[in-house]
Amino acid sequence: MGVEALAESLGQNILTTTLGKLIGWGRGNSVWPLQFGLACCAIEMIHTATASVDIARFGSEAMRASPRQADMMIVSGRVSQKMAPILRTIYDQMPEPKWVISMGACASTGGVFNNYALLQGVDKIVPVDVYVPGCPPRPEDLLNALMILQERIKAQGITPRQ
Amino acid sequence: MISDNLILERGVSAGDAWIAVAPENVHMALGALKEEGYRLLVFLTCVDHLADSSGQFPARFEVVYELRNMETRELIRVRAFIDGDPPRIDSVHDLFPPANWDERETFDMFGVVFAGHPDLTRILMPDDWVGHPLRRDFPVGGEVVEFSEEHETWQTAPEKA
Amino acid sequence: MTTEIGQGITVTKTGEQGAFGGELLTINFGPHHPSTHGVLRLIVDLDGEQVRRLKPVIGYLHTGIEKQAEALRWQQVVVVTDRHDYLSPPFNNLSYALAVEKLLGVEVPPRANALRVIMCELTRISSHLVWLGTSGIELGASTMLMYCFRERDTILDMNEEISGFRMHTSYIRPGGVMADATPRFLELLDRFCNQMPGNIDEYEALLTMNPIFRSRTIGIGRLPAEDAKVLGATGPMLRGSGVPWDLRKSMPYSGYESYDFEVATSDLCDCYGRYLVRIKEMRESVKILRQALDGLPDGPVNIDDRKVLPPPREELETSMEAVIHHFKLFTEGYTVPAGDAYAAVESGRGENGCYVVSDGTHKPRRVKFRSASFVNLQPLERMAMNHMVADMVAIIGTADAVLGDVDR
Repeated sequence: MGVEALAESLGQNILTTTLGKLIGWGRGNSVWPLQFGLACCAIEMIHTATASVDIARFGSEAMRASPRQADMMIVSGRVSQKMAPILRTIYDQMPEPKWVISMGACASTGGVFNNYALLQGVDKIVPVDVYVPGCPPRPEDLLNALMILQERIKAQGITPRQ
Repeated sequence: MISDNLILERGVSAGDAWIAVAPENVHMALGALKEEGYRLLVFLTCVDHLADSSGQFPARFEVVYELRNMETRELIRVRAFIDGDPPRIDSVHDLFPPANWDERETFDMFGVVFAGHPDLTRILMPDDWVGHPLRRDFPVGGEVVEFSEEHETWQTAPEKA
Repeated sequence: MTTEIGQGITVTKTGEQGAFGGELLTINFGPHHPSTHGVLRLIVDLDGEQVRRLKPVIGYLHTGIEKQAEALRWQQVVVVTDRHDYLSPPFNNLSYALAVEKLLGVEVPPRANALRVIMCELTRISSHLVWLGTSGIELGASTMLMYCFRERDTILDMNEEISGFRMHTSYIRPGGVMADATPRFLELLDRFCNQMPGNIDEYEALLTMNPIFRSRTIGIGRLPAEDAKVLGATGPMLRGSGVPWDLRKSMPYSGYESYDFEVATSDLCDCYGRYLVRIKEMRESVKILRQALDGLPDGPVNIDDRKVLPPPREELETSMEAVIHHFKLFTEGYTVPAGDAYAAVESGRGENGCYVVSDGTHKPRRVKFRSASFVNLQPLERMAMNHMVADMVAIIGTADAVLGDVDR
C-alpha cells in the first residue's frame, strides 16, 4: 500500500500503537550495517549489496565503514587472534542499540580452521544475535539472517538489550 | 659462477634440481647464483624435520631458497641445514629484497634468526605471541572436537603422537 | 617522542621537518578501513598530504593454513588451499595439485587439463572483476561495482553448476578434477564466451577514457621495470611495468602451450598501465575459454589410480575391491613418496606457488604457499612515495593484494 493510499484510507481516523512497536518498526527497517569485511565472506557480502540480491530492499544498503554510524556489525570472515582486539574495539565504538551477525562458519565457530591462529567463534568476544552457516554463505543466506534480525528488533521494543 | 666447493650435495627431487650448501656459505652461494642469472627469489622458507623417521637430514631445520633464472627459465633450490637454539643463518635481504618479509615470516613461524636482517620482528603473529607456530612441537591448537577420534593426535605434538 | 599506538607497535616522532615547513605526521591507516581491500594496516608518515614513509603491517588475517595442512591428510588439504587466496580458489587448488602430482609422478588426462584451464580462466576473470569493481568505487566510479558483480554472479553460477559451490569450489584435486562438466555448464560457458567481450567493452566505456579515472591513475604509483624485477613482483604488477613474464607462456603447465593467446603488457608502469593489463587479460581469458571449450577432448577426467582417487560411485555396488579402496582412502588417505616439489601457476595476481614436503606418510610434512600478494605488497612503499595520501588508495587498489593470500 502506497503512502497516499494509506493516508486516504485513514481519512480522519487515527492509528494507535505502542511507542515500543513504533520504535521497533523504525529500527528494524533501517538497520545500517558496519561492513566488517575480513575474508571470503566479505565478497559474498558485497554480492548481497549488488543488483541481483539487493539488500536495499530491506533498508540496509547503507554499508558504513565508521562504527559510529552503524547499528549492526556483520562479521564476515575468520577472526584471527591479532584481529580480535580490534574487532572488540570497533564493537565498543558502535552506539547502542547494536546487533551482530556472525557471517559464515569461520566467524561462528572457526570453521575448517581449528588451530592456534583463529578465534574459535566471534561469540567469544562479542554477543552474536544471528549466526549464518556456510563457507561462505550465499548472499540469500545473509539476507535471511537480516530478516530474522529485523523480526527480533521489531519485537524488542524500546530497550533492546538489558 | 658458483664454485663446486660451496656445494655439499646436489640432486633432483621430483624433477626439481637442488643443491645443499653449508649454512655459513649461504650468502656467498646465493650471491654466486645471482651472478649466474638466478635473479628472482621465488620463496624462502624453512622445514622442520623434527622426529623424522628416515634420519637422512643432518639437522632439524632446513632453510630452503628457491631461485629462478628468468632468462633460461630454470629453477634451483638451495638447502641449508641448521641446528641450535635459536637456529641462526645469514640474511640474504641485501641480495634479494623480497627476502626481507620472507625472512621475517620464517623467523616468526620457526624462530630462525637471520643475522644481519634490518628489522627481524614478528610479521604475522601478534608481537606478544609466545612460541613459533610452524615448529612441529607447537600443537595445532584450536578447540577440542567432541567425540572425535582425532582428538589425541590433533592436540599432541608429532613426536609424542 | 615515542607513542604506543596499540598492538605493540610504537611510532617514534622524530620532529623531522617536512618540505612544507611542518612536522612529519604519522597516521595509522587500517586495519579496518574500507579501501585497504581487507585488513591491511599501514603506518604512514605524511608531510602535509604527501607520503614520506610507509610501513605495511600485516598478519590480521593470519589463518594458520600451513599448520592446518600438516594436520590434514593429502586429499583434505585441497579444502584449506581454497581459502588462502579467496578470490582465486582454483589457482590455489591447481598449484597444490600440480606439486602433489609431481611427487606422485602422475599426469592427468587431457580432458582434466582442459577443465582445469577453463576453471582457472573463469576465475581469473572473476578475480579481476572484483578488483575492477572495488577499485572503481575507490576511484569515484561507483557504477563499476554493479556491472562487474553482475558478470561475477554469472561466473559463480557456473562454479555452482560444475562443483556445487559458488566460491570455494575445491574443484581441482591431485589426480584430476572433482567431477566432469555437465552439459548445462558447457552451455552456460558458451553463452558467457559470447557475451563477455561486449561486457568488457562496457567497462572500458565507463573507465578507459573517463577523465576522473585517468587523472587518478596515470602517473600514479610508478614502478619501473627494473625495480619491479628486483622487488620480485609478479603478475599484472610486473606486466604493467612492461615485462612480458607470464608463467602460462614462460613455463607452461596444464597444457597452456597449446592455446593461442597474448601476454598483456603495458609500458606505462603506473596504475593506469596495470588497469589496462587486467582489462586485456580478461579479453585474452575469454579467448582461451573459447578455445578450450571448442577443443574440449573426450575421455576421463581423473587418473585411473584407485590408491589416490576414490572409485566411481556405481562401482561401489558391484565390486568388493572398490569398497575396500573407498574405505581405505577415506579413513587413512593415501601416502605420497618422500621428497619435495614446487609447482607454480599464474593466478590473477601473479605467481601462485605451492611447495610441498612429504615424509612418506599420509599427511604432508610441510605445505608452503608462495603467494603473489605477499611479495607484491612489498613495493608499496616504493610506489606510494611522494604521492598524495589519497593516491595511496589507488596504488593499494592496483597492487590487488588479497589479504588472505598475504597472511595465509
